[in-house]
Amino acid sequence: MAMGMTRRTFLLGTGGALVLSLGLLKCKKTGAPADRPAVPYAERVPDVRYRDFEDVYRNQWKWDSVAKGTHFVNCWYQRGCNWNVYVKDGLVWREEQSGTYEQIDPKIPDYNPRGCQKGACYSERMYDESRLRHPLKRVGERGAGQWKRVSWDEALNDIADKTIDAMISGDGPGSVIWDQGTAQTNGGAGVAMMRTSLVLDTPVLDVNTEIGDHRPGAAVTLGKMVFCSSSDDLFHADLIFIWGGNPIYTQIPNAHFITEARYNGAKLITIAPDYSASAIHADQWVPVKVATDAALGLAMAHVMIEEDIFNRKFVQEQTDLPLLVRSDNGRFLRESDMKPGGAEDRFYFYDLAAKGIELAPQKTLALENRDPALAGEYEVQAANGKLKVTPVFVRLRQHLQQYTPEKAMAICGVAPETIRGLARGLAKARAATCITQSNFSKFYHGIEMERAQILCFALAGQMGRKGAGYMSFPYLSIDAVDGLGVATGKQSPKLALAALGLKMAPELIKAKLKGYTAEMTTFELGRQEYRHGAFPASLLWLYHQAGMEDTYGQTEKWDPAMKRPLDSYMKEAVAKGWQVKPSDRPRIFFEAGGNILRRFRAFDKVADRLLPTLDLMVTIDWRMSNTALNSDYVLPAAAWYEKDDITWATPLSPFSQVITRAAAPIAEAKPDWEIHCLILKAIQRRAGERGIKSFKDRHGVERPFDVYDEFTFGGRYTESNVAEFLDLLLELSTNVGDANWEKIKKKGFQRFTALGENSYMNIGNATDVKENEPITAGLWHTEKKMPWPTLTRRMQFCIDHPFYEELGEVLPVHKDQPNIGGDYPLYLTGGHTRWSIHSTWRDQRHMQQLNRGQPVIYISVKDAAARGIQDGDQVRLFNDISSAQLMAKVAPAHRPGQVTVYHAWEPFMAKGRTTYTSVTPNPINPLQLAGGYFHIQPRPAEFAPGSTDRATRVQIEKIH
Amino acid sequence: MNEKNVIGRELEGILHKPKRQLAMVFDLNKCLGCHTCAISCKRQWTREEGMEQQWWAVVNTQPGLGTPKNWESLGGGWDAKGEPRSSRIPTRDEFGDAWQFNKDEVFHGGKGKVTYLKPVTTQGEAPDWGPNWDEDEGGGEYPNSHFFYLPRICNHCTHPACLEACPRGAIYKRAEDGIVLINDKQCKGFRFCMEACPYKRIYYNHVRDVGQKCIFCFPRVEKGVAPACARQCQGRLRFVGYLDDENGPIHKLVHQWRVALPLHQEHGTQPNVYYVPPLSPPSVDINGRVDPSRPRIPTEYLEGLFGPRVREVLTLLEAEKAKKNQGQPSELMDLLIVYKWPNDIFPDFLRDPAEL
Repeated sequence: MAMGMTRRTFLLGTGGALVLSLGLLKCKKTGAPADRPAVPYAERVPDVRYRDFEDVYRNQWKWDSVAKGTHFVNCWYQRGCNWNVYVKDGLVWREEQSGTYEQIDPKIPDYNPRGCQKGACYSERMYDESRLRHPLKRVGERGAGQWKRVSWDEALNDIADKTIDAMISGDGPGSVIWDQGTAQTNGGAGVAMMRTSLVLDTPVLDVNTEIGDHRPGAAVTLGKMVFCSSSDDLFHADLIFIWGGNPIYTQIPNAHFITEARYNGAKLITIAPDYSASAIHADQWVPVKVATDAALGLAMAHVMIEEDIFNRKFVQEQTDLPLLVRSDNGRFLRESDMKPGGAEDRFYFYDLAAKGIELAPQKTLALENRDPALAGEYEVQAANGKLKVTPVFVRLRQHLQQYTPEKAMAICGVAPETIRGLARGLAKARAATCITQSNFSKFYHGIEMERAQILCFALAGQMGRKGAGYMSFPYLSIDAVDGLGVATGKQSPKLALAALGLKMAPELIKAKLKGYTAEMTTFELGRQEYRHGAFPASLLWLYHQAGMEDTYGQTEKWDPAMKRPLDSYMKEAVAKGWQVKPSDRPRIFFEAGGNILRRFRAFDKVADRLLPTLDLMVTIDWRMSNTALNSDYVLPAAAWYEKDDITWATPLSPFSQVITRAAAPIAEAKPDWEIHCLILKAIQRRAGERGIKSFKDRHGVERPFDVYDEFTFGGRYTESNVAEFLDLLLELSTNVGDANWEKIKKKGFQRFTALGENSYMNIGNATDVKENEPITAGLWHTEKKMPWPTLTRRMQFCIDHPFYEELGEVLPVHKDQPNIGGDYPLYLTGGHTRWSIHSTWRDQRHMQQLNRGQPVIYISVKDAAARGIQDGDQVRLFNDISSAQLMAKVAPAHRPGQVTVYHAWEPFMAKGRTTYTSVTPNPINPLQLAGGYFHIQPRPAEFAPGSTDRATRVQIEKIH
Repeated sequence: MNEKNVIGRELEGILHKPKRQLAMVFDLNKCLGCHTCAISCKRQWTREEGMEQQWWAVVNTQPGLGTPKNWESLGGGWDAKGEPRSSRIPTRDEFGDAWQFNKDEVFHGGKGKVTYLKPVTTQGEAPDWGPNWDEDEGGGEYPNSHFFYLPRICNHCTHPACLEACPRGAIYKRAEDGIVLINDKQCKGFRFCMEACPYKRIYYNHVRDVGQKCIFCFPRVEKGVAPACARQCQGRLRFVGYLDDENGPIHKLVHQWRVALPLHQEHGTQPNVYYVPPLSPPSVDINGRVDPSRPRIPTEYLEGLFGPRVREVLTLLEAEKAKKNQGQPSELMDLLIVYKWPNDIFPDFLRDPAEL
């Protein structure tokens, strides 16, 4: 070839000769030599008759058995995929999406074949070098990877003894802490975790706020974070915003509904600082400055109001905007203002029809013939004299004058005509929806970004209609788990639940008398439960008990607007009972499936401060996580194809999914359910052997050590019959039709039939589930006129809470992102990666091979050039807090001034074992300590402070 | 005509053509860049020793250097006169070597924090390329950056350059479905095929000393099951079928609506994978003011990949999309939407492998 021959001459010459010389060439019917050009082509190419080689491939596609499975990792918005797991020679060989979801409506795309590339290689992951095969005991320094293989008995006995020691000590059971992280399945393993902590009275960290998934802006506005339609409901939309999320990375199985809705005529608009993977399929991409989305949203709201294109009827009926506020102090006009003994939670509007002020109906949103005013100032005769009042709408309109598109452009960098176009499009759309994820939750002022977004959708009346909505926290689960997680005693579960019902009855009656909706009642019970401290918010726990006050609590150092230190807000919130302060010193930490030493912001500081103070750290996992690597004991769990269980889902993919035991657990691994049983059995046995009869629980009550008996409902559901327990879960659930374990095990999933009557979380979706229709969230509010679960029982944009007043956030505002991390020129942003679910696949060989095999940081061309950085260079990321080393990925798609590290690199993958998570001080926003305000009070998973690591200030430099 | 020479072109007066031709259409407006195709293929076919670095199905970010690195500039295929164009065999590093990781050392080595997990090539070096190294980088200048995903497999060409380059005659095109296979019992690892293929979709198995590539999942296809990359694609963009099936989506997209175009058809191999070219949001200024007159992805760039009809196809897609927006019917949009899977996307391959 080098000699200038064409390939064919080579073939005909040297090649042919070479082949001939090997003596293997068949063919040549003519008998002519292969290099004689005169021979017709067909006759000079060797004949291939050995097609039986094809059997080599045919024989590779063989298996012994197939079972149903899915992945119990928290992939959340995209979770819920039904897989066929193929088994060969006793090991899982590969998996493939089953593709058997029934079509809901022939006019709407179906859900097949849900899955992603991570799920498609779990069969490799589960057997790789990360897999834990035997119980291990640490024998070297923490994190060094020096282990002694021990027996289950040896591990369990030692763990049981140390747990008993802590429980009966002065520190009590509150010193034994569990973290379930993403292993919270809300099936067998999830209930096992809840019941373990129930019978031992040992707290389980409530991680939802700490991980920043709590949607705080949605929660304060809607009274709940859970609120989401199904993915196929997108097909009803004619305008779709992707604003505050990157679904092409993080909703892989759902994403076809987006691209297909676009083909169905929907306009797709992506709003993001960088030209992300979720921008490339858009009809319009709006480049917005980092952390300024609230200003953009408020300017859109301004336009809708000033151009009078907002949905007046929706605003009057569904929001607090017509409610009257006092002109003197900006607080709602309450019934208690109007007459002595009046209620604190009754509010007024001015009825244009009756020409007078009137109490807003509390038990329904229906206005009948009322026509609440959105303008004007009125004088009312209050208990203590005359008061001037105006609708919230008037104040809002005034307030929004600071966000004219022209003024907003100076903040968010989006041109006025573009802002106007977005606002008009939203107001005029037949059905507009917003794909937004848990991104804004993680900004310091993210609460305001979400409030501004929802304000836009409320003004446009784009909620609670087919195809119209706002994607908040998606959650949907079989509903028997909540009760079984807290049912006490050794009797049968049904009796235990009946007893629980009786215990709750007085509270239910009380709620009914107050006119609470079912949703409000459920949340109220959650609040009461939360005060008992069984589920401490993990950021508060880290702040108060794990030495992180000097990191998370130095907010005033970064936020120039604060007039007093965070500590002062914290003390006030605790003193007033607004937040629950964890008070027990931690001694034993059980990591039951999460990965705190990757997850906790500034995890390296937590490791330095918390770990040396512990008696014992135990990790239960199927793989060597960074937390496992730093533990005293590592207990090997069965992989997801090695056990039977049910997991939670979301309305986005409204199917309850199962995993089944396709193959036996490898080596000594055991299912989590069984591990929980065995730990409790060991504790009960060791207590007996040591003659210890009882322990004092966190409330001073003596409890016997028969914890295994209680956990197993008196021996009814033990390590040997989890399938029967799963059957029970399905039998007691009210939202999966007639599914039982045998049926669902065969099918792999069951579509939900309802939200269910017993779920704390599901109910927020506030809608009926119909067999032949996509799910549209909020129909109970918009169609059935059910009040929202807020103080005003409406979508609430005005929050007259003292902290909101002090911080100037009564109405949604934009606040500049503080220089968190120090005075550095770049914003460090993040987001979930395409290549892993949290850290679960981060070190999986194929996922590694398909990116760069090491932590990378995305940098704009301009910022890289200014620093002499080239693609592939090693760079140091640093600020006042810490530093980390990563590889530079220089991308034209990236916005100058912004650098991005996608989620969840394991610290052991980084030089020096610090990562992007190390550089954030994660300051607590004092606003999120607010409480004592009907819907703004902590309850499981909500209304406690969240993480604030997005847009931390950093610098990068090339490492030479 | 025997099986060996169904190469779909006229040679010395005889037309060599398979009875039927299987083809795929990849709709780039639905591709997520998720690589589930790549993984499904890897788990199905390329897990043996010697195949670690093989990715028969890849997804490249365009513009970009791709897999193997810079493949678009490596030549191969046929020139305008039908003569082979010169090329070379891509190196293992250009494809992206299968990296190894020191997990045992980190997890069980007792070394502590002085070590950490790092990839090395089989040469023991830090990698500087991989099959998806330039993911999501693309081209243009912010805010008019642009990129899209280009999934690639063997094109099972009608006029395969690999076939004619093989001195062993180990490559053949099946008469029944046009699938191009390398008989790896006949193959001796000379790698002329790797050189000849203009798409550089053939890998070298250094353990067995043979060339290997996408087999269009023929064992699955023979049983009425769609290829793994297509059946596992939850972006639902890989249409599969016979080109001559006038009722099937392939024929409709390629010949009736003519919206699916071959990649680099100038290479003359007549590929049987077709692409619905990518739309993109219009250009903006730094403040997001839209300029609809300037397409974000330069049309010339797309024409360089998919030929001169790109503009026409994109205009048609926009027009049909607009019809839907106005509530009018569009057969083309309905075709691309895929309401019912698998019926609408690979109607001849409906069988569920678990039910075999």
